[in-house]
Amino acid sequence: MITQSSFKSSAATESRQTTVRTLVIGLILLLAVLHHDWWWWDAKEPLVLGFMPIGLAWHAGISLAAGLVGLVAVSFCWPAHLDEEDGGGESASTEDNPGEAAPASAEDDAPAATDTGKEEAS
Amino acid sequence: MTFTIILCYLSLLLFLGLFAGRLLKKSSSDFFLASRGIGPFMLLMSVFGTTMTAFALIGSTGKTFDQGIGVYGLMASWSGIIHAAIFFLVGAKVWALGKKHGYVTQLGYFRSRYQSDGLALLLFPLVVCFVILYLLMGVIGAGRFIEGVTPETFSESTVVTTVSLAAAPADLKVPDGWKERVSLKDGNLSVTGSLHPKRKGLFMKMSKAPEWKKAVGALIAKAPRGAVPKWAGMAIVCLVVLFYVFFGGMRATAWANTMQTLVFMVMGLIAFYVITKALGGPVEASKKLLANETKNSVMAREGLIGKWQFLTYCFIPLSVGMFPHLFQHWLTARKASNFKLTVVAHPICILITWVPCVLLGMWAFGVLPEGTNPNAVLGMMVARYSGEALAGLIGAGVLAAIMSSMDSQFLCLSSLFTNDIISHHFGKGKISDEKKILLGRGFVVAIVLICYLIGLSNTQSVFDLGIWCFTGFAGLFPILFAALYWKRSNKQGAIAGVLALAVLEATCYFLSLAEGEGEFLLLGMMPVTFIVGITTAVMVIVTLLTPPPDEEIVEKFFPAKN
Repeated sequence: MITQSSFKSSAATESRQTTVRTLVIGLILLLAVLHHDWWWWDAKEPLVLGFMPIGLAWHAGISLAAGLVGLVAVSFCWPAHLDEEDGGGESASTEDNPGEAAPASAEDDAPAATDTGKEEAS
Repeated sequence: MTFTIILCYLSLLLFLGLFAGRLLKKSSSDFFLASRGIGPFMLLMSVFGTTMTAFALIGSTGKTFDQGIGVYGLMASWSGIIHAAIFFLVGAKVWALGKKHGYVTQLGYFRSRYQSDGLALLLFPLVVCFVILYLLMGVIGAGRFIEGVTPETFSESTVVTTVSLAAAPADLKVPDGWKERVSLKDGNLSVTGSLHPKRKGLFMKMSKAPEWKKAVGALIAKAPRGAVPKWAGMAIVCLVVLFYVFFGGMRATAWANTMQTLVFMVMGLIAFYVITKALGGPVEASKKLLANETKNSVMAREGLIGKWQFLTYCFIPLSVGMFPHLFQHWLTARKASNFKLTVVAHPICILITWVPCVLLGMWAFGVLPEGTNPNAVLGMMVARYSGEALAGLIGAGVLAAIMSSMDSQFLCLSSLFTNDIISHHFGKGKISDEKKILLGRGFVVAIVLICYLIGLSNTQSVFDLGIWCFTGFAGLFPILFAALYWKRSNKQGAIAGVLALAVLEATCYFLSLAEGEGEFLLLGMMPVTFIVGITTAVMVIVTLLTPPPDEEIVEKFFPAKN
């Protein structure tokens, strides 16, 4: 049963998610703007860490920042409904997609996951 | 030594293929998608390995030598931002749809989303053509690379090669080790034994006389190289990839990609460490270059890369969204959240691979002669500052980068033929899983053979065309994005978009031929800018002018969230 308090809490979560989503989009756009660093265009110096020209160091920083923005995005904006598919969402049938391979069954998945796990551990 | 190390590495891959083959279950889902059971680390490694080619090591170093450090911003940091965004927005969503509706290939998704066999048939030749071009760059590149790094492996010690040279140059200085092999008599310059192009520099140093340099060029072209020939190198690489894809399908491909990605990342770092140490450390190398007024231009971008070119290059990484082989890798994930690591770590992996190579290319400009072939820069730096063992290890790293893309492409083409043509059009519901695997394997063999034969007969034109395959995939990206996020998008719009892409791509290609050598730009911008813009506009206009898709389709692909 949906109570008033649970409704309020879900509305608050949704509002927070929207804010973070906007923030992530803003950060990606900011990265795209910062990427076009006309201000370092003809600068050979300073040498960051004593060896990296500033133009290269700036872009290495952009790559690091892209990873960080990715971290924020997957931590706060991950589309949760996609993960629901993991738990055995609606199964496709051959009538649904004639000619396509049927999706892997739960039986298929389990041993494969073990195989992968073994491989990754090694 | 170099060739032995390369052979050891290739043998390791064969073993891996054999091992993965033993675990293969008799289902087409296992052969083409590893039973959708790949974990986060392997997904990251296989996706990163697939998007990186030999260009990540050789090309990045050479291009920096040619165009300066701006190459990193142009190709690597844009890719970091855009690839990660695509994996987040497209990859995870494609995975969920693939899992829910059982898609094996990209075309299967398009056919189902737009309820159009025509669209899939229209896309099929385009996608196959682009992938084959991409593949050929790898096959030919591998053959050329092995030939380049294996001089005197099969040395012919008795053969004598002679070219004419009117008189001995006055300043001729033949090094000690070569005095017995080089002779100048009766207006003829002769060399005994094999002579690899790698030795050209040594011969050029013997004299500064112009007639000598001309004669050396002729001698190098005429003499046996003693290296593993290009046809053999191509055959070895094709057979190794064929072996593990044939026996292990997608599981072997994902395993091999993981290993190969780690190999080329580690080898790149080792090369960087050894060469940097020989140059006196990174600080010393950069200071020396900065002090050299005639050569320090590579430390900036002014005069080497255009500002609009730099900005509009952002459209090229969109191609990743439409690579059919990457699409197939996305479908192998065990769960959607496995994409999280790829989204976060992909830009960092790019950083780890590219920054050392760009720095090496920059320092190489200070120490190698101008006019050096950019593709030979990394090899020359390795040869000059390290031993044969490292050359062999770097060689294995470069081949790893090439093969980590090739295997996915071979398997993807086989999937397209098996699932989208044979199974869909000729065997609806009649082809058993075992037969699908058999067909898949047959197609892998056929595609490897076709690529090998084309690779034997053609070389440069493939590389010239290859640039356009990235532009083509990028031009198709808006159609995929609309399919995923625009409920109103329909088959008419998608078909119009594909046709527009084909016409624009052909037009730009012929314009580039007319323009001649050098990078082809339109108004100082990458042609892909116009191709993506116009394709999107055509798709949107035609979609809005034609009826919306059926409610049933909209509900299937855009279910209401609870």
